[in-house]
Amino acid sequence: MNEIHFNVDAGYLEGVVRGYRDGLITSPQYLNLTQCETMDDLKLQLATTDYGSLLQNEPSPLSTSTLAARCTDALVAEFQYLQQNAAEPISRFLDYITYGYMIDNVILLITGTLHERDTHDLLEKCHPLGFFDSMPALCVATTVKELYHTVMVDSPLAGYFRECLSAEDLNELNMEIIRNTLYKAYLEDFDAYCRSLGDPTATIMSEILSFEADRRTVNITINSFGTELSKDDRARLYPRLGGMYPEAQTKLARVDDMDQVKAILEQYGEYRSMIVGVNLSMAGGDSGSSALSLEDRFFAKEVQLNKDSFEQQFHYGVFYSWLRLKEQEIRNVVWIAECISQHQKDKIANYTNIY
Amino acid sequence: MAAVRDNVFPTRMNLTVTKTRLKGAQTGHSLLKRKSEALTTRFRVILRKIEDAKLKMGKVMQTASFSLAEVAYITGDIGYQVRENAKRATFKVAAKQENVSGVLLPAFEAEVRAGAGQFELTGLGRGGQQVQRARTAYVAAVAMLVELASLQTAFVILDEIIKVTNRRVNAIEYVIIPRIENTIAHINSELDEQDREEFYRLKKIQSKKKERAARAQKEIDEAARRAIADGNLHQAVGGDAPAARDLLAEQADEDVIF
Repeated sequence: MNEIHFNVDAGYLEGVVRGYRDGLITSPQYLNLTQCETMDDLKLQLATTDYGSLLQNEPSPLSTSTLAARCTDALVAEFQYLQQNAAEPISRFLDYITYGYMIDNVILLITGTLHERDTHDLLEKCHPLGFFDSMPALCVATTVKELYHTVMVDSPLAGYFRECLSAEDLNELNMEIIRNTLYKAYLEDFDAYCRSLGDPTATIMSEILSFEADRRTVNITINSFGTELSKDDRARLYPRLGGMYPEAQTKLARVDDMDQVKAILEQYGEYRSMIVGVNLSMAGGDSGSSALSLEDRFFAKEVQLNKDSFEQQFHYGVFYSWLRLKEQEIRNVVWIAECISQHQKDKIANYTNIY
Repeated sequence: MAAVRDNVFPTRMNLTVTKTRLKGAQTGHSLLKRKSEALTTRFRVILRKIEDAKLKMGKVMQTASFSLAEVAYITGDIGYQVRENAKRATFKVAAKQENVSGVLLPAFEAEVRAGAGQFELTGLGRGGQQVQRARTAYVAAVAMLVELASLQTAFVILDEIIKVTNRRVNAIEYVIIPRIENTIAHINSELDEQDREEFYRLKKIQSKKKERAARAQKEIDEAARRAIADGNLHQAVGGDAPAARDLLAEQADEDVIF
């Protein structure tokens, strides 16, 4: 019966988000972008897209970092518009989306605090989507313990911290491990929240989040080869959801090289197709290969899942999906810009097409 | 060229000294020439290496910065995180000195500490492989830069030193040696001149002496003849001594001046 009341609160926002979706760059436009020879050409081509007005006032030698910054600004502005117009259930959902960015910001601040950097500089580096009210207060804290007691307990992330870390851990553990532990807690919490929202949202989001969890699992496994991360720690970083939980995760926790990962992934239908033709010797550092990497496959899959969520109505997944698609689009545009500015035209097609 | 020469007093000792100097200058010249040749050979080798390195550099840097773009594509901005986690340098440059025919050339050597370093877990969630790959690419690029820096410094220093050496070689060859040779020639000619003067003087004295001896002889003969002519043999025999005395008194003639 959700559908009857859906439009009361969410109808306008859903309309807005679907409108945003139509603004995403389409494949003919991507083709035009890849034809560009210089950054000025690229700017000209982008003028026909939603980014046109953003880049108008940029001075002519457009750098990729400016491009990325402007695009992110646009994304943030659009998302904040959604947040400002959201009422209770959606606003909470949107908040959940921002928690991921908050984790990154908090990790950034903790890292900075550990190294006694000026916290004001750090705030500028934070992702604008991950801002929360008490975050400027993080500047006050000078030690990690203080940071935890005075600031973190009030932040939305307090729950994740409480579950998995104590103040002592913050000093000792590698920041990257903390980040992944938090992210794992966040994913589990987000999934639980989505399930509590009831059917259309729950189904769609759990699919996307499962994939996200699986991707993290695989990535953590691959990236922990040859590092100081022990196998027990590795298993502890796997999110407890997704198609790979728990069976494949227990197996992945024990593997030592890419071939074993491949053997395990082959047992799962949706991932078997993904690893076919993937250059598994990637870890060897062969950057000259133009073959699609596993990451590219993951991106393509993510885009596919997020596109699918637009096929249904009356659910909140569209907001999450739109944000992911938009992020992918920014990555694509920046990638194309990088390829153009570095004269690496042969790899320019490695972006992930959306529509 | 009007003979440029050192302002020395033309004596035999100075001649010996100047000859020693000439010898020294010639030895120095040949040594410097050899040094300059050795340096030039080295210079050419370095030049070739620099060319290779610079060509390679472009490629390596391109790969490196492109791998960073790949990281940005997949992982996002990790620069801050990596910078904060860097605690100890894994890449160190040691400066050494290399001796090339007396010239000290600085040589830089890269030392890479084994292991992935502190940020091996960066991008654990996503893109860790790309991060490591970018790292490898940049280590290679920095190693290349160090090599190039070492070559480039050597190049500049060698260039300077070769110029200085060549200037010295030319100075010795075209200025110092001719001057010393001129000096020697000058001293020699002066000494010869002195010899000739001395010889002439001796001759002159000899001829004067002969003249005088001839005149004295003539006077003695004259006196003897007069005595014989007077028939005063006895007086002539007895007056032998006064006659001799007279002759001595007569000798007060003018000094001979040459």
